[in-house]
Amino acid sequence: MKLQVQSTQMTRRARSIATILALFLITHCAEARINVVTLPGRDSVQLTIYNSVDLTLVRETRVLTFRKGLNRLEFSWANTLIDPTSVELRAVTHPDELDVLDVSFPARVSNTLEWRIKSDFAGEVQIEIRYFTSGIRWSADYLAEAARNEKLMNLAGNVRVTNNSGEDYENAQLRLVVGVIRLVEEIAELARRDRSGEAKKALAWSEVDGDLRQKAQRGLNERFDDFERRAGRKNQIVKEGLSEYFLYTVEGRDTIPDGWSKRLPSFQTADVPITSVYKFEREQWGEQVMRYYRFTNSVPDKLGREPLPDGAVKAFRFVTDDQLYGFVGSTAVKYIPVNEQVDLDLGPDLEVQVAPKLMNWQKTDIAFDNWGNIKGWTIKESWQIEVQNSKEIDALVDVRRNFSGDWSIDTQAKYETVDAAKIKFLVPLKPGQKQTLSYTLTTRQGSNATR
Amino acid sequence: MSFGSISQVGRRRKCPCYVTRISLIFAVFTLFNAISVHARVKLVALPERVRVVLSLRNPGATLVEEERLITLQKGVNKVDFSWRGVNIDSTSIQARMLSHPENVTILNTSYPPNENALIWEISSNEAQEERVRISYLLSALTREVTYKAVAEPNETALTLRNYLRLRNDSGEDLSNAEIGIGYGSTFTKTIEHGETLEMLSERVEGLGIKKLLTWDAATLPWDPEYEKKTVGIPLSYVIKNDKASKLGSHTLLPGKVRIFIKTKEQPENAGAAPGEGVAFTGEDWAQLTPVDREMKLYIGQSRDVKVTQRKTKDDRTNIRRNTANAVVLNDTDEVYKIEIENFKKQPIDLVVVEHIPGYWKMAESSHPFERKDAFTVEYKLNLPAESSGTKKTTVTLNVNRLNVQGNEPASY
Repeated sequence: MKLQVQSTQMTRRARSIATILALFLITHCAEARINVVTLPGRDSVQLTIYNSVDLTLVRETRVLTFRKGLNRLEFSWANTLIDPTSVELRAVTHPDELDVLDVSFPARVSNTLEWRIKSDFAGEVQIEIRYFTSGIRWSADYLAEAARNEKLMNLAGNVRVTNNSGEDYENAQLRLVVGVIRLVEEIAELARRDRSGEAKKALAWSEVDGDLRQKAQRGLNERFDDFERRAGRKNQIVKEGLSEYFLYTVEGRDTIPDGWSKRLPSFQTADVPITSVYKFEREQWGEQVMRYYRFTNSVPDKLGREPLPDGAVKAFRFVTDDQLYGFVGSTAVKYIPVNEQVDLDLGPDLEVQVAPKLMNWQKTDIAFDNWGNIKGWTIKESWQIEVQNSKEIDALVDVRRNFSGDWSIDTQAKYETVDAAKIKFLVPLKPGQKQTLSYTLTTRQGSNATR
Repeated sequence: MSFGSISQVGRRRKCPCYVTRISLIFAVFTLFNAISVHARVKLVALPERVRVVLSLRNPGATLVEEERLITLQKGVNKVDFSWRGVNIDSTSIQARMLSHPENVTILNTSYPPNENALIWEISSNEAQEERVRISYLLSALTREVTYKAVAEPNETALTLRNYLRLRNDSGEDLSNAEIGIGYGSTFTKTIEHGETLEMLSERVEGLGIKKLLTWDAATLPWDPEYEKKTVGIPLSYVIKNDKASKLGSHTLLPGKVRIFIKTKEQPENAGAAPGEGVAFTGEDWAQLTPVDREMKLYIGQSRDVKVTQRKTKDDRTNIRRNTANAVVLNDTDEVYKIEIENFKKQPIDLVVVEHIPGYWKMAESSHPFERKDAFTVEYKLNLPAESSGTKKTTVTLNVNRLNVQGNEPASY
């Protein structure tokens, strides 16, 4: 019954991509251009979706019945975003007995190509058709749930696939590529080139396909069938390295109708150690103190199994015993390689204050040239930086100071040299604690400078 | 599962009293009904909210957490969450299973095109009721913090009331919502779309304050004699957010502070005891004030204190010239005289702020001063009551500026 229904639905559907096999005997002279013999459905579809460019590699297999002699196979793709220059065909079964003689893009017929295939075999052959399409994208997003003391967090990753390609892909295997690849021409542009103006229509698909509800219903029914097969199991995402890229393969099959998007859980890790880090650098953020959750994508920190793709992050903190949320902030993370330490940017924070004050300014060691003009002097500045944590939790405050010229510093406080013109103080503060950093900066000017 | 439940929902939607715009539609599919339905979902139940929590802890966002009871079938269930005319950040929506988090999981989330909706596919190990907590950020539900303070007549203490004013333009009615701002009381209130609700978050009695006048030499005229109007000296109340001031438990959020002072009202009938009333003394915007920091509220001006500052000595010393006889470097010898008169019947604290650029040394000062930073000093003076005329307070300071080239910094 199920099969029957599916087959009814199939014929009812206005497919965008159609494969029509036309069979001719070589000796026959074709009156019409094609002779429709069969309209084979897809047996399988695999989508390999890139996130750095608008590119998806579609690999679909279909079973066609060939006759001995010349077979013509028409492939058309109205209202989609397929790059015609990328369409390829190969025989999966009987590869030695099938020979693609040529491929023609017929005049006056848009979005169509025709393969002429010589077959030494009569019967069913599984063929694979590969092409690039644009309009399908994927993105990663994360949910960070920090514990009340902000020393641990639960991190959950999801991937979201959005299909605006103009084509429904049913029961597709999804593979997601994390990495940056180069394209010399955009796929969307190549798709558009063949048929001026139609690409736009494909994108605004709702105008083309008025029956949105019906389409949505179809998608849901198909997904329902999918669940029947999976019996309620969560699809795992298998991750593997590949050259400079990382490939995520979603287990099982998914259906993403055109216009829909789907979000799938990628991983969930509890109790990832985090540090609440606050940064102050006037040259970067003015007088604001910026807040971060610092963690490392490493195995000891319960992550580190794969690089984490760039994506949006929503950060919450548990604020009650029954784990109600407090919203911490929305942010984005960059691509995080394995073992890299990351600072999740949570925006400015007003409860940690860093207030640098110049307490004394002296001009000394005036040097004169032979004409009595000033040629050199030295500035001595005494600074006090008050660092205050008004929060109920520990804070690590990273205070950076930038200097220029021939400078030297004298301080009792511990600091690290970041580069030739920058130092940083790392100040761990308990809840409610206040600390003052003091240093004297000496800058030699004019002829007093020695470097 | 019957069409009755569909039509029931249909009737409710037509009802004018049905105002919820966020809906959670719970749909269970079996093989048969999956084929037969024509709407996107088959409605089985419209689970009502059993709890709504409104978190205003983040100053820039309103987080709603609502809990609903849904009845799950064994296997895969679909739950459709949709909203219309409500500004929900769709990327913020999270669902957490509260009853059986180990056995009830979200398999995936689908987003239909051109609709404010999503569909969760939830797997359950058996048929059971599940309490689901759905969290999302809702815009157009704005909050304001306002303060009303009544000062004692002697202006040493006040009663502070902290209000949370919530305006709901979100498009959604929130019934019996637990509203919290992260401190003070949590309120359980119903707030309808379009409604503004003001709630008293906390009340602090006997909060110690410091009343302060600030005369800044950089912003106020030095010689009032040349002014057409009496020079007003900025008047502030300083509140320290600490335990000693009966505060110090949380950050004070920014908002408008209106300050009143207690007054004696004239009795209606002669001979009766005077009543108690209040007079408004001014208002200011309070800055965000974390624990252990001071909130300074500029509430008005005092015209009963007069400050006259004059520079009584302005000499260049230690002049060094180049071969062309031009001055390239010098020191200075400067004396300032500040005369202060308090016409009030009470003593008052006055802070005099002086700005001295570059490299300098204080040669002499009649009063102790505090170096606030490299280029600022402050005199904290307590002016006696009625200290005018011969009783006026006079501050003199003798400053030497050193190695002056004319390009010294006055700020940093």
